[in-house]
Amino acid sequence: MARSVGIARAGAGAAPPAVRWRPDSLRYAIFSLLAIVVAMIFLFPLYWALSTSLRNPIDTFTVAGLGIPWVDFEPTLDNWIDQISTAESRRAMANSTIIAICASVLALILGTPAAYALARFNFKRMPNRDITVWFLSQRVLPPVATVIPFYLVMRALGMLDTHIALILINATFVLPFVVVIVRQTFLDLPLELEEAALVDGAGHFGSFWRIALPLAMPAIAATGLIMFAFAWNEFLFAIAISSKEAITIPVHMAGGVDSRGVQFWFMAVRAMIAMIPPVLIALLAQRFIVRGLTLGAVKG
Amino acid sequence: MRWTGRVRFAFLLPAVIWVLAFTVFPLGYSLYLAFFKIESKVEVTREKVPVLDEQGEPVLLSSGKPRTRNIVHKNQVTTSEFVGLFNFERLFEDPQVATAIRVTAIFVLVAVPMELALGMLLALLFNQQLLARSALRTIMILPIFATPLAVGYLFFTIFYEEGGPLGFLGIPFLSDPDWALFSVILVDVWQWTPFCFLVFLAALQGLPDELFEAARIDGASTLDLLTRVILPLLQPTILIVLLLRLAEALKLFDVPFALTGGGPGIATQSYSFLAFRVGLRYFDLGYASAMAYVLLIVVMIIVTLFFRRLRETYG
Amino acid sequence: MGGWHGTLLGAAALALIAADASAQGVRWNDDGTVDLMLGPDYDDAVITTTREELGTLFGPEEKPFEGAEISVTVNSSGPKGGISGPLHAFRPIWEELSGGKLNIVELPFGEHYTKMMLDLRNGTGQYDAFMVGAFWYGDIAPAGYGFPIDELMATDEYPQWTYDAMPPSLRVLHHWGETPYGVLNDADGQVLYYRKDVLANPEHQQAFKTEYGYDMPAPPKTWQQLLDVARYFNGKNWDANDAEPDSGMVLHLKVGEQGHYHFQSLSASFAITPGDKVDQYHNVYWFDPTDMKPLINSPGHVKALEFLQELHKTGPSAQVGWSLGEAWDYFLRGKAVFVFSWGDVGALCQDETRSKIKGVCAASILPASAEYYDHETGEFVQAEDPQPVGNTTGGSWHGVISNFSANPEATYSLLALMAIKPVSMWNAQNGWTGVDPGYSYQFLQPNGEATVEDYVKAGWDAEDVKTYTQAYYDNFYADTRLTYLRIPGTFEYWDILDKNLSSAMSGEKSAKQALDDTAAQWEQITDRIGRDSQLQDYQAAIGYEG
Repeated sequence: MARSVGIARAGAGAAPPAVRWRPDSLRYAIFSLLAIVVAMIFLFPLYWALSTSLRNPIDTFTVAGLGIPWVDFEPTLDNWIDQISTAESRRAMANSTIIAICASVLALILGTPAAYALARFNFKRMPNRDITVWFLSQRVLPPVATVIPFYLVMRALGMLDTHIALILINATFVLPFVVVIVRQTFLDLPLELEEAALVDGAGHFGSFWRIALPLAMPAIAATGLIMFAFAWNEFLFAIAISSKEAITIPVHMAGGVDSRGVQFWFMAVRAMIAMIPPVLIALLAQRFIVRGLTLGAVKG
Repeated sequence: MRWTGRVRFAFLLPAVIWVLAFTVFPLGYSLYLAFFKIESKVEVTREKVPVLDEQGEPVLLSSGKPRTRNIVHKNQVTTSEFVGLFNFERLFEDPQVATAIRVTAIFVLVAVPMELALGMLLALLFNQQLLARSALRTIMILPIFATPLAVGYLFFTIFYEEGGPLGFLGIPFLSDPDWALFSVILVDVWQWTPFCFLVFLAALQGLPDELFEAARIDGASTLDLLTRVILPLLQPTILIVLLLRLAEALKLFDVPFALTGGGPGIATQSYSFLAFRVGLRYFDLGYASAMAYVLLIVVMIIVTLFFRRLRETYG
Repeated sequence: MGGWHGTLLGAAALALIAADASAQGVRWNDDGTVDLMLGPDYDDAVITTTREELGTLFGPEEKPFEGAEISVTVNSSGPKGGISGPLHAFRPIWEELSGGKLNIVELPFGEHYTKMMLDLRNGTGQYDAFMVGAFWYGDIAPAGYGFPIDELMATDEYPQWTYDAMPPSLRVLHHWGETPYGVLNDADGQVLYYRKDVLANPEHQQAFKTEYGYDMPAPPKTWQQLLDVARYFNGKNWDANDAEPDSGMVLHLKVGEQGHYHFQSLSASFAITPGDKVDQYHNVYWFDPTDMKPLINSPGHVKALEFLQELHKTGPSAQVGWSLGEAWDYFLRGKAVFVFSWGDVGALCQDETRSKIKGVCAASILPASAEYYDHETGEFVQAEDPQPVGNTTGGSWHGVISNFSANPEATYSLLALMAIKPVSMWNAQNGWTGVDPGYSYQFLQPNGEATVEDYVKAGWDAEDVKTYTQAYYDNFYADTRLTYLRIPGTFEYWDILDKNLSSAMSGEKSAKQALDDTAAQWEQITDRIGRDSQLQDYQAAIGYEG
C-alpha cells in the first residue's frame, strides 16, 4: 500500500493518492499490460525516428520488421555525426534556447501582474471574466493573418533576423496562456494572507510581491516551462523573420527538405535533437507540468 | 472579494497594451489588405561614389582606376485600390475554399472527439495501480514535445506503403484521398491525445477518494461510476480541453504540410494551409487575409457559444 | 647544431610542401595559368584556369572588393548538397580573390521563393543574389527586381563565360526578352532512365515479342511502346535485388513536390504541334498567344493525361504520395525498369550508398508520342517518324542579382567565377553538386569537348555516362521544344495544375475534368492579374513570332 501511494504521490505532485480499488493481482496485471502496450504504441514513432536516424539513406524504406539496429540493418552514426558537428545545428539549438527562454520569461513578467489584477481587483467597466476570455481569444488567431504585418513592422524597425524580434513575437503568442493560467493560481490562494499584509501597511504591490508571488511560484514556473515548449516549436514566424542569425530549430529542420525531397535520415536526427531540451524539462518538472497543463481549472 | 484602487491598472495595463500593440496593428493591417488591392513599385537608382580611405583619399586599384561603391536609392511607390468585398466574395466561388472547409471540418469533428475520448480512457486506465506507472506516464508525455513539422515528415516513413512498418496492412495511407485525411488525423491523435490524457489524469487524481468509496459502498457499477460521478465532476475540465483542442485543431497546418503536401489533390489541404499557400506562395495577400478573418469570426462564434460554460469556470 | 638546423629546415620544407599540396586557395603560376584549389573537404580538387579567364580585376594581391559583404540565397542542401554545395566549395576561393565576404543563406526549398518575394516586393534588399528557379523570372524581371548583367558581361574585368555554350532552350531561360539576368549554372531537363540489363535480357525479349508482337525496343522510342514494355515488366520479379515483384515505371507524383513536371514532359509530344515558328498554333503549350486562353485542356493534353494514368498503373500505387526522394530511391534500389526525371538520377546511380544499379543505369531522351494534336486543324496526327520534344522542365537553378543590391559588381564576380568553363565542367562531372550537364563543353566528344575519362575520374561508370550525356544533348538540342512558363503568377498557375493532376492520378477526377477545372481556374487567375499584361509577358516569355 505504501508503495502504491508513493507512486501516486510522485506521479501527481501534491495530489491525493490514486483511486484505490480492491487489491486484485489479476486486475493489476491486465491493466499494467494494457498500459505498457499503450505506452509502447505512443513511443513507437519516436523509436522509429531513432531507427531511421541510424540508417544509411538506402535503407530508409527497405528495412523489414521492427527496424531493430543490427538485427534488421547495419546501423551507422554518420547521420548523427554529420548533423551535430555543423555550425548550423549548434546555432539553431542556441537560438531556439535563447528565444524560447526569453520569450517565456517576458510573457511571465507581463502576464503575472495582469493575472493578479484579474484575480484580485474589480474592473468596473468590464467584467473580469470577459477580459480573461479576450486574452484567451488571442490564442485562436490563425498565424497567417499576422505574419506579413509582423514582417513589415520588423523590417521597418530594422529588426529582421534578430533574436529580439522572435522573442517579442513568441512572447505575444504565449502571453494569453500565462494570464489565464496564473490568474486561476492566484484565485486559489487564500485572501487572508494578503489582506493581513495590507492591514500591516504593505500596499498592494507589497502584498503581491512578498505574499502572493512566492506562494504561486511553483505554478508560475510550470507555466513558464510549458510556454517554453510552445515557443520552441514555433515555425511560421521563425521562417518569415529569420534568415541567418536567428534561425531556430524548426526552421533548421525544414532545411532537411531539399530540392530532391525529404532527407529522412537527417530529418530524424534533427527531430531527435530538437526534442532533447523540452523532454529534459518535462522530465525534471513533471509535477509542475501537470499543474500547468490543467490551466488551473483543476487543482492538481 | 475584489478590491479597487488605481494601482490595479498598473498591474493590468502592461499586458493589455502589449497585446493591443502586437495584435491590433497586424489585425488592422490584414483587414486593410482584405479590402484593398495594394501594389508596391520600388524604383532603384544607383550612385557610384569613390571609395575613400582614412585620409579621405580615393583608393586605387592596381590598374590605376579608383575603386567605387554603390549607394542604392530606393523609391517606393505604393498604390492602394479599394476592392470592396471582392476578396470575400471570392471565398464563395473558390472550389479550393469549399474543399478546405470540408477537410478542416472533418478533421476537427473526428480528431478532437477521438483525442478527448481516448485521453479519458487512458486517464482512467492510468489512474489504476500499475507497474512502473510513473515511467509509463513519462513516456506518454513525449509526443507533446515533438516538433509538429518533424512529426509530419517522420510519419511519412511510418506510413510508407511499399514496405514500411505498417505496410503489411496493405492500406493506402497516403495515396488514397480519404485514407490520407485519416492519416493526418492519426498523426494529430498521436501527438495530442497525451495532452488530453495528462489533464484528465490530473483531474481524476484530484477527485477525493471518499467519493469513490461512498459510491462503491452504495453498490454503484463501474459504468454508473463513470457516467454519474466522474464525467459530471470533470465537466469543466473536459470543456476547457475541448475548447483548447478545438482552437488549435482549426489551425491545422504543420502535419498536412509535411506529410501529404495537402494531397492527394487537395484532399488534405486544410483551411489554414490554403490560406498560407494563397498568402505566402501566391502572394495574394488580400485574399489570404479575407480567409483568415472568416476563420477568426467562425472561431469567435464558437468561443461565444462556450462563453456561458466558461463563466462557471472563470467567474 | 648544424644537424638540428638541417633537420628543422627539412621538416619545415616538408611541412610547406605538404601544406601546399592540401592547401585551399588560389595559386598564380608563372605561365599565366591559375590553380583554384578547393581544399581537403572537396578531395583537394584543383581547377586550372587562366588569368584572362579570371578577368582583369582579379590578380595576385588584388582585392578589388575588399570590405564588401554579400548574401546569396540558395535551396538548402548543405556544403555537399545540390546547388548550395558549389557555393560552399568556391567561397574561400572567391573571398581570397575579391577580398570580400560571402554569406550563404540556405533556405528550405519550399520557403526560398517566399523569402525572395518578401525581400523583393518590400524592397528590403537583404540579399544580393538569389539562386533562382527559372520559373520565377515572371515575378522578378517584369517588375524590375533583377539587375541586368549585360554591361558587366561586356567588359573583360570579370571572369569570362558566354551564353554561346548554352543550347537555345536554356539560353532563353537566362534572359527576359533581350536582357540577360541569369549567370550560367545548372541545366535541368527530364530524360528517360532505364535498366539496360533488364531490357537486354534475351528471355524477356523473347517473351515480350510473343506477347506484344514486336521486338522489345531498348530504349523505347515512343511512349506507346514504353507503356507496353512497362506493362510487360510490371508485377514480375525481374530484379535480383529482392524477392518482391517489381514495377514498370516509377513516378514522383506527390502534390506540391514537382510532380507536375512529369505531365509536362510527357504531354509535350502529345500536345505540341511542331512547326517552324512560334505562332498561334505551333510550338505553343500553355496559352493561346493571341488571347491568353488556356490550352491546358486541349484534346492533346487530355489524351496525354489519360496516358499518364495508364502509365501510373505500371508502378506502385503509393507513388501518388511520393516525392523525388522516394521515387528515385525505388528506382535506385532496382525496383522499377523506368523512371523519367532529372540529371540527379544519373549522378545518384553512381553513388553506391544510394544505388544498387551502377553500371546498368542507361539514359535516353524521352520518347515521343506516336500521335500528336494539331491545334490548327483540331485533329490528331499520326506521326510517321515521331520526333521527341525536348524539355527544360525543372528549375535550372542559377544566380540572378537583386536590383536592390549595393554590391552588384562583387556579386557578379562571384557568380561569374562559378560560371567559367573549367569550373562549370567540374560541377557537371561531380554529380553531388546538383549541376547537370547542358552546355556544349560538358557533353562528350563529338558533341562537346569533354572526354569519358574526365567523368570516369569523378566516379562515373563509362557506359552510364555515355548514354547520360547523349540523352541530355539530344534533349537540349531537339528541334521541337516545350516552352517554359515564366509569367507573373507562374507559381499559382502551376500549383493549380499540380493539384488537379494529383486528383486525376488518385482517381478523384477524370483526366478531362481535371484539365477543364485547371483551365477554368487559370482563366480566373489571368483575369485577376490582368489579361493584357499577362498576354504581353507570355508573348515575350515564349518568343512569340506572330
